[in-house]
Amino acid sequence: MKKRILAFAVLACWCAALLCGCAPSAKKAASDTGAPEIAGLTYESTMQLQYANCFQIYRYEGGYDLIAVSDGRNYLVIPEGGKTPRGADGYIILQKPLDSIYLAATSAMSLFCALDRLSRVKLSGAKQEDWYIPAAADAMAAGTLVYAGKYSEPDYELLMSSGCDLAIESTMILHTPEVQEKIEELGIPVFIDRSSYESHPLGRTEWFRLYGVLTDAEDEADALFGKQAEIVQSLSDFQNTEKTVAFFYVTNSGTVSVRKSSDYLAAMIELAGGRYIFKDLGDPTTATSGVTMTMEEFYAAARDADYLIYNAAIDNPLGTVDELLQKSSLFADFKAVKEGNVWCTGKYLYQATDVLGSMIQDIHTMLTGDGSQTELTFIHKLS
Amino acid sequence: MPTKESDEARLRQAGRRRRARYALVFLILLLAFCAITVLNINSGSVRISLPEIARILFRRTGDAAQVSIIWKIRLPRIFMAAILGGALALSGFLLQTFFGNPIAGPFVLGISSGAKMAVALTMIWFLERAGNASSAALIAAAFVGALLSTGFVLLLSRRVASMSVLLVGGIMIGYICSALTDFLVTFADDANIVNLHGWSLGSFSGMTWDNVAAAGTIVAVALALVFALSKPIGAYQLGEAYAQSMGVSVRRFRVLLILLSSVLSACVTAFAGPISFVGIAVPHLVKRGLHTARPLVVIPATFLGGAVFCMFCDLIARTAFAPTELNISTVSSVFGAPVVIFMMLRRSGRD
Repeated sequence: MKKRILAFAVLACWCAALLCGCAPSAKKAASDTGAPEIAGLTYESTMQLQYANCFQIYRYEGGYDLIAVSDGRNYLVIPEGGKTPRGADGYIILQKPLDSIYLAATSAMSLFCALDRLSRVKLSGAKQEDWYIPAAADAMAAGTLVYAGKYSEPDYELLMSSGCDLAIESTMILHTPEVQEKIEELGIPVFIDRSSYESHPLGRTEWFRLYGVLTDAEDEADALFGKQAEIVQSLSDFQNTEKTVAFFYVTNSGTVSVRKSSDYLAAMIELAGGRYIFKDLGDPTTATSGVTMTMEEFYAAARDADYLIYNAAIDNPLGTVDELLQKSSLFADFKAVKEGNVWCTGKYLYQATDVLGSMIQDIHTMLTGDGSQTELTFIHKLS
Repeated sequence: MPTKESDEARLRQAGRRRRARYALVFLILLLAFCAITVLNINSGSVRISLPEIARILFRRTGDAAQVSIIWKIRLPRIFMAAILGGALALSGFLLQTFFGNPIAGPFVLGISSGAKMAVALTMIWFLERAGNASSAALIAAAFVGALLSTGFVLLLSRRVASMSVLLVGGIMIGYICSALTDFLVTFADDANIVNLHGWSLGSFSGMTWDNVAAAGTIVAVALALVFALSKPIGAYQLGEAYAQSMGVSVRRFRVLLILLSSVLSACVTAFAGPISFVGIAVPHLVKRGLHTARPLVVIPATFLGGAVFCMFCDLIARTAFAPTELNISTVSSVFGAPVVIFMMLRRSGRD
């Protein structure tokens, strides 16, 4: 009996510790309840978002903004020279100007570059050779952007000595909570970019508007986002080609990694006028974006796909169909291989959040083109 | 023919020489500890002069960023490297005593595998569903996982008398935990796999004073208990029969030894992840240096040696390729593995 009580106590302690970390914010998500009342501030308006549903921005008089993110974290953005309102307890304070940012969320870099606010980012979570955005790589070469360690092992000393005023992290930081806690202990606010959780590809691009608020570039953000939205809207009257597309890569162990059906890449294929080959793959309620399957399972499902797009985000980009066949000779049986409809992404795709509309345009061109175009912005045809 | 007086003189001389050797080893360890502490405080991405460091340490004044760097970044990390390094080495010494095998490490009983399994479960299952978890949750998970493995070994030890069978049992438990982890990883996304791999290589990065307080308390209590067991450990080193004749309850003593060793290594794994070779290499080096296995001398020297070794490895880990930081096991293996190879060669040579 004593042993059972002891075992129960240990289990209870573990669960309690987990719950401490998992407990949602005391404040209800602002998107559910409307603009939160903050003592000392007067609510003005709410930013009207078109596609994004992972954040909401509430405007208050005097240039104050409240960014409510779907993970329950609420960021109160205080204008330059503004004072922290008395009702700010429980909010993460971001004091403008934010001009010494540590950017570990690589997908946000393209947004800063497009907004012409790269100068606000002083510290990078990726090395020069890992940037596929030329402006970022150039800034690192010039020394205006400095590598400060990756998200899981940042150089805390560099962060402190550079006067870092904001750390922008991807959701990868959730796997290393001790790093987030340490950065916050040093007095640096941590902003977690959840754009990868947007189900609509333009939802990711609409994060432009959030970074526009943080860097005082709202007009530029609206214009840039509008341009990408226009590309997608121009395709809205287009009747779907009903051509099927498989988006995948082969892992080192020989299995195949594909995107689940609710992922934004599947949505991009649909928006471009194609059909993602997997209809109900993966649990849409979980955070995982990929699904790993056996080659047999992939063969059965994608053998008759009209197009194959090889995802070179982790693997190296392929140049020829032979390179694909070296990964598995089974690909020779695929309809897309026989008809020469095999494409491959470049490394740039996952950092180019600013032009996802163009990626949709690329897939549209792939599906409807006459075959003469083999080198598009994000994808190229295998020879 | 030697007289009684000359025998006594020789014994006294041998005793003096032994004490001098102990004093020398402790002096070297203390000097190394001080030197590496100073080097650690003085090394980092940000250059801070020694007078400035002294002012920050003793008066807590100076540039605010530099004060934070010393007090919030460097010092907690140094303390943790010292505490956990000492704990790991001590844990290794206890297990080597228990198994009578100089290459038995603190993770031989599946402790790190158990901890890794629990961390994988927390990362993959809970993060997937709950969205986030605190560092306390991961620490608690690692601790619980490590102690669960120990629990199985203790259950096994009640039924098995042979040390080698128990050792094999511990290794098998490690395999089972690793298999379960691999099973979880099969269904995990890339982010979880990458982070789990990073965790399993260990790091002292990002330590806080709260971590120091928690780990310090656990290790201090365990260290005091190990000290209290010095006499039975000494008796056990001379054989189970001798220990029994000295009034040691061998069964209870073995359970206590496993439990203390496990708590120490579980504490290290929980806060810094598994760290290779420290537990095997340091006790051996210390015993060689002291020319004795007497627990009263070896226990503090091993703790100090472990602290020095880990602080040295951490210094290299964070400065060699700064701002990229090496995992602590990468460094400790480079310095620890040759020692283990040397030990094995010597042992096989003797055999």
